[in-house]
Amino acid sequence: MSTLWALTRRELQALWCSPIAYVVGAVFLFLQGFVFWLLIAVLNDPRVDPAFTLAQFFFGNTFFYWFAALITAPLLTMRTFSEEKRTGSIELLLTAPVTDAQVVLSKFLGAWLAYVALWLLTVPYFVLVHSLAPLDWGPILTGYLGTALLGCVLIAIGILASSLTRNQVIAAVLSFVALLLLFSLGILDVFIRDPEGSKVIQYLSLIEHLTGFAKGFVDTRPLVFYLSATAICLFLTGRVIASPRWRA
Amino acid sequence: MTTAISVEHLTKRYDTVTALADIAFDVQPGEIMGFLGPNGAGKTTALRILTGILAPTAGTARLDGLDVTEHPLEVRRRIGYLPEHVALYPEMRVQEYLAYRATIKAVPARGRRARIDEALEQCALTDVPRKLIGRLSKGYRQRVALADCLLAHPKILILDEPTVGLDPHQIRQTRGLITALGRSSTILLSTHILPEVEMTCHRVAIIDKGRIVAVDTPQALRQRMQGTEVVRVELRGEPGAVEEALRALPGLAAVTRQGTRDGTSTFDVETQPGADVREAIFRLAVERRWTLRELAPRQLSLEDVFIRLTTKEET
Repeated sequence: MSTLWALTRRELQALWCSPIAYVVGAVFLFLQGFVFWLLIAVLNDPRVDPAFTLAQFFFGNTFFYWFAALITAPLLTMRTFSEEKRTGSIELLLTAPVTDAQVVLSKFLGAWLAYVALWLLTVPYFVLVHSLAPLDWGPILTGYLGTALLGCVLIAIGILASSLTRNQVIAAVLSFVALLLLFSLGILDVFIRDPEGSKVIQYLSLIEHLTGFAKGFVDTRPLVFYLSATAICLFLTGRVIASPRWRA
Repeated sequence: MTTAISVEHLTKRYDTVTALADIAFDVQPGEIMGFLGPNGAGKTTALRILTGILAPTAGTARLDGLDVTEHPLEVRRRIGYLPEHVALYPEMRVQEYLAYRATIKAVPARGRRARIDEALEQCALTDVPRKLIGRLSKGYRQRVALADCLLAHPKILILDEPTVGLDPHQIRQTRGLITALGRSSTILLSTHILPEVEMTCHRVAIIDKGRIVAVDTPQALRQRMQGTEVVRVELRGEPGAVEEALRALPGLAAVTRQGTRDGTSTFDVETQPGADVREAIFRLAVERRWTLRELAPRQLSLEDVFIRLTTKEET
């Protein structure tokens, strides 16, 4: 356990010391700040359906939410394995008495914690609203929960992409394209006539899941989907890392 | 006592290239073994297999009696590895990096601080513990990596070209450190510098083109090298008479017949150091009317390697 924590801390430190994290963080917060301002402006309009809540808009119902999610995950994960492969520090890491699982998990946890931390920086927006108007915290909590769970999948895909190449940029592009494909599956729903196929698409639709979370539902179906997709990606990453050790 | 390192039939093939061809050697506990060979001979590949980074195509490698592919974690607990290209995390400070490495190497938290100080001391890093690794010179970084090797007091140290990139003063320091460490651990180090081996190692394995050409003490190897030269002679004549005549020449150590085909015989003529018998052989052939087909100093592979090593590197 102390090994896993030491490895994770080193991941967080690497992010903390890299300019990428700050650029990503700044752009992320700028985007979220803009979205928040926009939402307040929209919700203040008396013509808006009073059934809509702030959480519902904020989590998953704007273009900006998805843009922020799909762009930050690749940027936070791109260096995890590719940079170690490029410099060669992976050799020292893999000759230390640590398991592949610990290495992969620490990379994942490091990036995921950073991702969650970025989102948590938006909590003050809600606190601000709370000080001025009544606010239902339930959907906001589940909205964050959904965002964190979705983050697991996004980060895991990014880690897998990073393990495949020595080049950070390629890793970022790979994971961004993969995430975009996964995201656009949900939009495809409109084109599918076959009811069975439509069901599958709906199950995979990230937007659908998050809308649920933002309404205050914690559904086990997306939960299973997120966790299993994360597990599969991390397992594959472990195999990629171990591949030089396979006997031909 | 179990053999510290035991390698049998180790082979590593990439698609078309054979990096290691059926090599075998043993290292006894407490021994400093040198892996000597030109660049690209397969030294690094062998060391990477021993550390478990790479799987062999065939054969086994055991460290402290444990197969490296079957007990990777146990093996890693027993080794300290200094890779050929030292890559550390530039954003960390020396002491911080060593603390991180000590934690993942499961050095008990109690004595961790003392171990780090000890390693800093051993590798002459006491003046830079708070410096960022990225700001250090190559020599210092090399020593940080070496300090990292020593943290967990490993039984076996595997050092890939430990003195490359150091200045002469640092080279001397590092060699002194290796000799000192050899008193408590087993060391396998690779190098392409002959004097380094002579100064630090108890035994040497000479490796060339993926094969082990010789394993011996540095002194014995040097003797073997300087002892004799071999000339290959191929001529047409009655084999028995030729052999007799060759043996009669002055300055010869030994004559061995390699074979006879279509009336021509091949001999390997070993000469004493400094003696060149080629002209004498030529005159002999003319005298006896034997047709001389070949007269050439034979390249011994071991000698070959030695020459390549000794002529390329200054002390």
